[in-house]
Amino acid sequence: MTPLLELRGLTRAYGSLRAVDGVDLSVLPGERHALIGPNGAGKSTLFATVAGTLPATGGSVLFGGDDITALPEPERARRGLLRTYQHASLFLNCSVLDNVALAVQRVHRVAHRFDRAARRFRRTEAEARRHLESVGLTGRAGDRAAALSHGERRQLEVAMVLAAQPALVMFDEPTAGMSAAETERFADLVERLPDSLTLLIVEHDLDVVFRLAGRVTVLHLGRVLASGSPEQIRADGEVQRAYLGSARTDDLFTGDSR
Amino acid sequence: MKATYETATSAADRTEAVDDSRPRRIARKALVAVPVLVLLAAAPLVLGVYPVSTMTRILAFAVLVLSVDLLTGVTGLPTLGQAAYFGAGAYTAALVGIHLTSDAAVQALAGLAAGLITAALTGWVAVRARGIVFLMLTLAIGESVHQVADTWPAVGAGNGLAGMPPISLFGGPPLTAAGFVYWWVLAVAVIVFAAVALVVRSPYGRTLRGIRDNEPRLRALGYRPALARYGVFCLAGAVAGTGGALWAAHARFVSPGDLAFEVAALALLSVVIGGAGSLWGPCLGAALVLLVRDNLSASIGGHGPLVLGLVFVAVVFLLPRGLAGLTAGLTAGLTAGLRRRHRKERIP
Repeated sequence: MTPLLELRGLTRAYGSLRAVDGVDLSVLPGERHALIGPNGAGKSTLFATVAGTLPATGGSVLFGGDDITALPEPERARRGLLRTYQHASLFLNCSVLDNVALAVQRVHRVAHRFDRAARRFRRTEAEARRHLESVGLTGRAGDRAAALSHGERRQLEVAMVLAAQPALVMFDEPTAGMSAAETERFADLVERLPDSLTLLIVEHDLDVVFRLAGRVTVLHLGRVLASGSPEQIRADGEVQRAYLGSARTDDLFTGDSR
Repeated sequence: MKATYETATSAADRTEAVDDSRPRRIARKALVAVPVLVLLAAAPLVLGVYPVSTMTRILAFAVLVLSVDLLTGVTGLPTLGQAAYFGAGAYTAALVGIHLTSDAAVQALAGLAAGLITAALTGWVAVRARGIVFLMLTLAIGESVHQVADTWPAVGAGNGLAGMPPISLFGGPPLTAAGFVYWWVLAVAVIVFAAVALVVRSPYGRTLRGIRDNEPRLRALGYRPALARYGVFCLAGAVAGTGGALWAAHARFVSPGDLAFEVAALALLSVVIGGAGSLWGPCLGAALVLLVRDNLSASIGGHGPLVLGLVFVAVVFLLPRGLAGLTAGLTAGLTAGLRRRHRKERIP
């Protein structure tokens, strides 16, 4: 099976600091792939580089077999490569419904129509409400997004991304700052997503990772440290050392490992 | 278990509130809009020539202010260049009036086209920038067009364009009475207002608000916002051009002063005073600004700009969301109060 997303030696450098350093990674269609690693491992930079928010300084990104390294961010999103943000990035002065509808109306190709009021585009409105319902925000459709709590904002973020008809969703620390109940709700939501949807999840909560992911890749200092099934990763000695920080934390400052 | 139950009911409560508030909101809007329109239409029957002509100017200026609001309030692009497109529309309408026809509808359409074309030609430079750079680019465009109007002999240069005959409608006799001109200007202004309101409520308007709130996020959702920004710039140019044509229909004289920096600045000031993003708020702002500049100023020894400055400072400190924010706060308070009472009644 050809991987849906394939990274070949992907590199993103800030001057001499290589935040993402020659990462090879493949994600198969329908896979639930988790990306873990200690703080500063380069997970968020990797996400931004794959999504096209940051240009890669080396290597290539293949999506569905096509090289998309040179494509701008909107083009990647149109191909179905969507991401969420570590800090919810919403349209705060718009209504909650508008936030989701913005994603839906682009997919329905009505984003530039002004011949009638938005609510008369019934299919778009219904679809947006359906996505709000799936994350449990129906009751807040008319409120401003700025009025939402932290957990609700994360839920809205998920609804927006799912409404954009993704083939692959990259979740950047989706449960950060969520209460235990909200985390549970998020995990439930992810488990209920259709199998055809491919997920790449950066997550600190290892319980969530081992519950959701079929495959785990560990990133450390911008490089892939290990990749395998959750059981293999749990048993991996090097991963434990990276997380416990016994021997190799100096690398952060000296860069000797390169 | 109890907690989940409670959130479920409160969510249901809120859905209910959202659902039944829509018709009520429409009814409330109609309750305000209909009397306002009737009063505006009845004005020439009860008022003298001078107040009616003042109101005509306010309406034409309000159309310019609407175009500034479309860019600044809805899309988040503060502009000082809309007077250029207003002027392009006014000059074109005056030229059409002098050389071609006195038909007001033709003049208005010509003004609209002139604003649209001028904006399309100059806008692609401006829409590449955002924030303060966009503001400076629009200022540069405005000043350049002003310079052209001030020096080009074909449009009268510094003397302006005089000698425009009175407008006529649908082949009728020339409309010399101020009341008829007022009704024409009012009709077009209402149509433009409705059109802008439709754009704001349409999916495109939603896209524009998305640009205002968070353009990088919009890009991550697969939008190409540059095109939408250029589109709204052209649209705002067309609206401003129509306003210019209305201005010319009333004044029958256009001079470079009509597209000077002061006009652009007053239009932006009207939007700030009225409340950026609301449509009727900036129209009220337009009325306030023109009344202070043209009417109050004369009776206080020409200190109108000082009053405008004080009003501006007061609005920024006391009403950060403008006149529109004032009533939004009032109605929100009212509904909250009603809902509270409603709950209290239900509890026993």
